[in-house]
Order: sequence, then C-alpha cells, then structure tokens
Amino acid sequence: MDRSQYTRRSLLGGVAGLGVTAMAGCSGLLESQAVGEPPVVEERPNAVYYPTHVEGMEMIGMTDAGDRQIGLMYSYAHRFWTMDVGDTARVSAGDADAHLMASVWDPDTGQVLPVRSGLSVTIERDGQTVDERTPWTMLSQNMGFHYGDNVSLDGNGTYTVTVEAGGLGIDRLGAFADRFAEPVTAEFEWEFSRGQRSEISFQQLDGAGDPGALEPMEMKMPLSVAPAREDLPGRIVGTGETGDATFVVAVTDRGGEPYLAVAPRTPYNRYVLPAMSLSATLTREGEAVLDDSLSAAIDPELGYHYGSAVDGVDSGDELTIAVDSVPQVARHEGYETAFLSMPDVELTVE
Amino acid sequence: MQPTQRGVSRREFVKAAVAIGGSAALSACLERESPDLATGDPSSVPDRQHAWNEALPRDDHGNVRIPRHHALLLVEYSETGVPDDDARETVEAAFRSLERAYPWSNEGLLFTAGYSPAYFDRYDADLDGVALPAPTALAPFEDPELDEPDAVLHLASDYGSVVLGAEQALMGERSTLNGVDVSGFGEVFDRVDKRTGFVGDGLPAEHQDVDGIPDDEPVDEDAPLFMGFESGFEKNQASEGGVTIESGPFAGGTTQHLSKIRLHLDQWYNQDSRSQRVAKMFCPAHAEDDRVEGVGENLGDDNQVGDCVDDIEADAGSHGIVGHAQKSARARDENDTPVLLRRDFDSTDDGAAGVHFLSLQSSIADFVATRAAMNGSDVSEESSVGTRLNNGILQYMTVQRRGNYLVPPRSSRALPRPSP
Repeated sequence: MDRSQYTRRSLLGGVAGLGVTAMAGCSGLLESQAVGEPPVVEERPNAVYYPTHVEGMEMIGMTDAGDRQIGLMYSYAHRFWTMDVGDTARVSAGDADAHLMASVWDPDTGQVLPVRSGLSVTIERDGQTVDERTPWTMLSQNMGFHYGDNVSLDGNGTYTVTVEAGGLGIDRLGAFADRFAEPVTAEFEWEFSRGQRSEISFQQLDGAGDPGALEPMEMKMPLSVAPAREDLPGRIVGTGETGDATFVVAVTDRGGEPYLAVAPRTPYNRYVLPAMSLSATLTREGEAVLDDSLSAAIDPELGYHYGSAVDGVDSGDELTIAVDSVPQVARHEGYETAFLSMPDVELTVE
Repeated sequence: MQPTQRGVSRREFVKAAVAIGGSAALSACLERESPDLATGDPSSVPDRQHAWNEALPRDDHGNVRIPRHHALLLVEYSETGVPDDDARETVEAAFRSLERAYPWSNEGLLFTAGYSPAYFDRYDADLDGVALPAPTALAPFEDPELDEPDAVLHLASDYGSVVLGAEQALMGERSTLNGVDVSGFGEVFDRVDKRTGFVGDGLPAEHQDVDGIPDDEPVDEDAPLFMGFESGFEKNQASEGGVTIESGPFAGGTTQHLSKIRLHLDQWYNQDSRSQRVAKMFCPAHAEDDRVEGVGENLGDDNQVGDCVDDIEADAGSHGIVGHAQKSARARDENDTPVLLRRDFDSTDDGAAGVHFLSLQSSIADFVATRAAMNGSDVSEESSVGTRLNNGILQYMTVQRRGNYLVPPRSSRALPRPSP
C-alpha cells in the first residue's frame, strides 16, 4: 500500500508556507479533527476495510494492578461507532483533546482480558476531577480489544488517571478459575501537552475502503490476538465464517466432561470478538443433542471464547451456531461495517 | 441558563442560596422570593412522617409532583451515649415549631426525620420490629462511602426560601419563621453534612452549568431531571401505604435509603443517540417503536415498560442493550406492585451534576432487591450486555455514598428509643 506519511507537525509546516492569513486560523484548524481525519469513505464494504488513516499512539504507562496488568495510552481524539438499537451510531471527536485507551491483561500468559468488568476512569488535575467515565469497550485494527473514549482535558499539564477494573463477570476456566475476581485499581501520571500530542504519527492511506486491515501495532503490551486454529487445545471440529468473522470450533475437556468452545476472530489480525450472544444447536441423526446459549468465558489456552458443556461431539454431527447478538463493542474506523449482519454458522463436524 | 435582567435568574439565585446557607443569603432570598404563606397547624399534620402525597399537587396525568427544592441535613447527636428526655423534648419542640410556621404542603414545608443504624447502636437493646442494616456497597463495581450520621432531616418545599428558613430555624440561626416564633435543636444536634437539590420542569436546564454535563447545555428545558426524561410515574411508584411499616412499635413509619450519586453525562449527551438514550433509560422496544416523545410526558402515568420486562432476556440477547426502567420494574411485590417510593432529586452539590437518590420502602431489603434488579448482573452475565455499558444507565453514574435510615411515625420522630 502506498501511504502518504506525515506527522501533524509536518502538516503544520506546509500550512505555515501558505502565509499569515492561513496561519491566523491555523492552530484551530490543526487542532480540529476536520483536518486530521479525512471524511469517512463513501463506499464501505460490509466487511473489514482499510480506514482513511492510521494514527500512532503514545504510552502513558503500564503497571501491575493486583493479579492483572493495566496499560494506559492515548492518541488523537477521533470518530468511532457505538452500537445502537439495530444499528451503529457514529461518535465524532468534537472538541475532545485525546482518545484515551486502557488495556487489561494477565501478566502470566499475556492474555488480554476483553471481558466485562465495568472498568471506569477518573482524570484528576491538582486534586480536582476533570473527567470521570466508563469508557466504551472497543475494537480497533491496530490494537484489537481495549477500553477507550475521547476525553476533554483542562489544557496542558500533569494529570492523574485512575483506572478501576472490576472483577470479571464471565466464566474463568482452567488456571484462570480462581483469578480476576476482585476489583483492581491502577494510577498513572499523564503529562499532557498539545505539542507532544501533535508528535504522534498520523498517516493517510491511499487504499481506504478496500477490504483489509491495518497491521497490529508493535507495542510493549500484549494485544487481544486469538490463538491460531492450530494452537487451540482439544479437537478442532470445524471452522465457519459469518459477517467477515471466522468461528473456530473446538471440543476440549472441562472437568472431565466434553466442552464445546466457539472462538470467533477477526479476519487479517485474528483479534478476539467479545460481547456477543451465541447459541449452539448440535444435531445427531436428526436429534438435537445440544440446544443452548453459550457462555462467554476465558481460558489460558482457548483464550476468550463462548462455550457450553456437551455430552459429546461426533464426526458427522450437524452444528449450527446462531449469533443472537453481534459484538456489542464500539468500533474504530474500518470495523464499523463488519460483524453487523451475522447469519448462522452451519457446519458438519469433521 | 437565561440570566434575568438582574444578572442571575431568580431560581438560580434561590438554588444558590439554599446551597450556601447563611442568614445573609436567606434574607436576600426572602426578599426576592417572598411567598405569601399562611402559617401551619400541627394538629393537621399526618401521623406518618412520609405522608406527603395528599399535600402535593398532581400533574395532568395524575403523577404526584414532589416539591421543587430539597435539603438533607445529616446531624450527629452531640453527646456520647443515649439521648435523654430533655433532648427528645427539644427536638420535638423544634419540629412542632416548623409545623406551626408553615403549612404541611408543597408551598409550605414537608419534612421527615430518619435515624441510622449507628444511632440505634447507642442503645443496648435491639431495634424492635424493624430490620435496619448498615449500608453496604450494592454492586461489584461500586465503592461508596458509608454514611452513618445519627439522623438525616429531609426538608422540601416549592420555595427554596422555605427550605433554607427551616434549616436555619432547626440550627438555631433564627428565632422567627413566617412570623412564627420557632425553636431549634439547641445543643442536641451538630450538623455534619448538608446536601441540596431540586426536581421539576426547567430546574435541571437552569442548573446545567456544572461538571458532568457537556458545555453546550444539552438538558431539555422541559426535563424534570438532568438525564432528560420524566420519572416518578404514578404506576411505577409504590404507594405511601405500600412503603409503610405495618406492625410493631414503628408501625406507621418507613425505611429510607439515601445515596449520593455523581452523574457523568458527557457520553449520554455527546455520544449516545436519542435512540440509545431511550433504550437505556426505558427499554429497546421504546426506542425501536419511538414510544417516547420529548421528555416522555406522552407516557402519561406509566413508563409503559411492563411489556418490556418479559423481553429482557431477549433484548439482552439480541440487542445487547437493556433499559434501566425495564430492569428495575422486575422488582415488584407479590401483588405485582413496585416496592419503592422514589423521592429523588438532582443536585449541583460540589459543583457537579448529581442525584440524591432518596427512596422509601417498608424494608431496606426491598431497596437492596430493586438495586440488584437494576444492576442486571443476571442479564449481563448471560448475554452481550456489559457490566455497566449498555446496561441501563449504570455507565453514567457513580454511587459516592450510601446510608440507611428508619423514618419513625411522627409520634416517635424525636430521638426514638429502639422500642418506643
């Protein structure tokens, strides 16, 4: 792909060359996302696509928090899409100062914990609360699952950001069974200046709208990558595709009983797809041997998945996985048209 | 907020005066807001302290309209040990003098006195016939400070000046009120905290210049509360009889839960669509079918989420969103009646948008059950609904403080013994 690359500072240089009149409105212009973010691509596929631009990201910090690690980072404020009733709702950057992101992971396995925890963020300056919110659960092409939102600050300065992650409200399996139950808190010092923010890389992409995805960002912290099909434990009984996502289905052992695990992932980057409601019907010789909703769960080997106990899975069984609710995570650009219409996945057990 | 020609709107001024307190503020307040009120008659005040509804107006749909201005005084008994009869008489005399000064109505003064578990711990004997647990956190994601003053006084009137005057009378800062000689608590109580607020059409819009609300004044002029929707629908409230303790020495009383909640409405107003707000406040079907007009006055005397309740698991599964009212409506008694009588109001205390969530119920257990229904953990754990995201309005609030109180019947409202 041909990427015309520039930082906002180099853009500033270009604008300055236009003369004094241009400069008069320049700082406002450059602070706004109108310049930073090109218009959304008009013809977007109902699939994962290359966004109009890629933004870098600045690490604020990484720290231990009880039995988890929490990382905090920021970038330019930018548009994203939340899940509305039967649709998505576009959220514009407005006059926010930054897009603040948090990630929570298991320090032992490096597994990102893309799960319900009611994570909240408080931003303070000189003891005064500047902002307090429950950021959205989000999916971005260069980072995968994270918690994020656009925030407005009180100018340049030193902020204290407190991240509170609650206990995980989903099934925890294997070595995770006794972990992540308690709320944890992490505190970060954030030296914010608009000048420094403008140093964050910003590249427009030529192939915007084409099917594909940005490369995962190289980071010091782990990303929410699902295990490769061949790395999943147990027996792989099939793979299906729906709404541009891939579902890998495995049968493993849980407490001595067979366990059906469905592990959905994004194309290209293989990120896990959280916050879905799935149900499964397993039919053997015309009789349903399983017909139940699947529970979201996290396991050191399976990763984030949806599963259910099952009496057994035989070769030739017909398996239908229904997507009752598509991933209820907010999406960064390039993911907002994918994973929305997700017909049943039907497969014959291998 | 639209400033008047005097620079500050009258209502804004009254709100500021209630918040600031002080006799200077009050006299200025009384000058601007000078209701011509009759005096009151203690013999006409009901036996139940919480019997307010008969004295309150109703809107066109029959919904009770609680007073517009409120203050909560948290007070500590100034001595160690148990109060004596002198203290009891002083407190009762103070309450009686308020009843003489103002009529028992929205234009006059309505008030209650409630007592905490910490207060009853002063006594060796157990509280008789009422379970009054100490407050606790009620969700895995909250960590509130627990209020344990001895008592809380709830003062309410459509006139801020009346609320402020009543407070000053109780605190011994004035000796006449509405032309009536009044006496206060003397040395019996020390005020340890004060919270103020308001509810009613227009008031939230006038007071939206605070932390927690976007700067572009998004709160609807017609909204009675900051979140922009009607609340307190007649059919979604318990009756006063329903929240009354029926037997034992405190028969005729009730229990009160009071929480202090910070609102964070940046996402609500800047990011959520109208459809998301309706779905999260009421239920997804209300959003899909566009059932809520404006602030929701078209709903009449019922938020009409009854039909949504049965769909809650389906909504959770298919939409990944469940509504606040939809979840809360699940907490009903055996007669399918709501168990809470909400008398909550908004606040700008600490310069931030907030709610003083005051609810009455015959037992604190009813509040705990309703809050559990509102948490929706049962729904979110089996679906794509988040712990707080897309789970009613949990995302937009932080519970900062919680307290539980017994509101005795009027006959034992002054420093009650555990078995009066």
